[in-house]
Amino acid sequence: MKLFYRDRATKRSINWEQFIEDINNTQSVPKYCYAQDYYTIFKNIILAFVSGNSITILDSDFSDDEIKQLVGEEEFAQLQSEIPINRNLDFTNAEEVIASLNKNSRNSKLYLFTSGTTGLPKKVSHSFTSLTRFAKISIDRRNDVWGFAYNPTHIAGIQVFLQAFLNQNSIIRLFGFDNTSIETEILDFQVTNISATPTFFRLILPLTKSCTSVTNITTGGEKFDNKIIQQLKKAFPNGRFRNVYASTEAGTVLAAEGDLFSIKPEFENLVKIADNELLLHKSLMGGFENEDEWYRTNDIVTIVNKNPIEFKFVARKNEMINVGGYKVNPHEVEESVRMHPDIINARVFVKRNSILGNIIGCEIVASNEELTEVAIRSYLQSLLQEFKIPRIFKFVSKIEVNRTGKVNRK
Amino acid sequence: MEKIKEIINTVLANRGKAPITDINNDSHLRNDIGFDSLDLAELTVRLEAEFDIDIFEDGIVNTVGEIQTKLAPL
Repeated sequence: MKLFYRDRATKRSINWEQFIEDINNTQSVPKYCYAQDYYTIFKNIILAFVSGNSITILDSDFSDDEIKQLVGEEEFAQLQSEIPINRNLDFTNAEEVIASLNKNSRNSKLYLFTSGTTGLPKKVSHSFTSLTRFAKISIDRRNDVWGFAYNPTHIAGIQVFLQAFLNQNSIIRLFGFDNTSIETEILDFQVTNISATPTFFRLILPLTKSCTSVTNITTGGEKFDNKIIQQLKKAFPNGRFRNVYASTEAGTVLAAEGDLFSIKPEFENLVKIADNELLLHKSLMGGFENEDEWYRTNDIVTIVNKNPIEFKFVARKNEMINVGGYKVNPHEVEESVRMHPDIINARVFVKRNSILGNIIGCEIVASNEELTEVAIRSYLQSLLQEFKIPRIFKFVSKIEVNRTGKVNRK
Repeated sequence: MEKIKEIINTVLANRGKAPITDINNDSHLRNDIGFDSLDLAELTVRLEAEFDIDIFEDGIVNTVGEIQTKLAPL
């Protein structure tokens, strides 16, 4: 009886047999998946693909007004509608479900909304093929146990889910829990693989015990700094680290060891760098409506080697903060602040200011209660230009993250 | 006045500068106290947090006396 999904929040552990029975006993698939329960979301995604239907995944914390804006009044009226499954589902094992996914999902679409750093989220369509383009499936991976550390309604979460599903792995929910619970789940269920944002890792470190079962750690989406890598190595001594570049629009395009990225040979003509910005060819964009031939990712990179091209991610273009005409990269500031030995985590925020336009503030999670603003500042003076040093510090017990698991700066 | 002086000294201390002891209405924020634009920006944020008034909202303020005037309605 192999575990399929374990959720500490609902105190449920569902094994593969039960999951297959649930699939067999379901007669319809929702047009809109608007569920809070991770298991329901996972089940609906699989049901849509095996029945050749399409599904739109909505965050459970969207308000009615937000959904109306996203889908329109007319569709909003159909929010609860169910599409009958017109084939008899009679799976006896996981292999049959997987074979059916590959065979029947050809006309299925999975619609998601990007978290959109500015304005209203945009609708993006994916196929089973585009979602699993980089899934690694092999018999060696059959015993992987995934620590599920993403929101299940977002692309990274869905990709991790499908990677785990196609290898018939067990999935242990880690997202949305406090540090102690996360550590307990990793240890109790002997998690081997974790894919998460740098913020997720930053917020759980340091761990009280070292988690030796974890062998694969994947991260991406934000810049990952050296201090975190050192702490991760301590927490996960057997972990192999992999950094992935993925966007909701394009799915996984690049991968690298450490923070140095290269373009895979098969994408050589589909990825380019112009004015230090990473551009993706429209053919990588799935069903994304895009008029230009090249999609501007807003990801600013710095080229380290020219031939073959290798680069590092520096920041998001629209994240640069203008302080009296000087551009400040919040990641650079946060990284410098985190280097202080008494600081666990930091988050830069922006405050409007009548003199400089913007002024930089910083929330600090300190490990030493006696740490003062003056001490942090004098430390930063050796690392940062004066205009990059935060002028306001707030000491907080934890850094809040948004629904994608990234930090908010506003 | 004491509160304004305290806030000015906080800003000075944050920049590693010596505190001022002598302060009066004619003290010039830049010439006498030695504030630059970053310091002035920080000063406004701290005053705003304390008094809920943006002293630079309607243009530049040069002296401690002018700050007093801005905060006077309180």
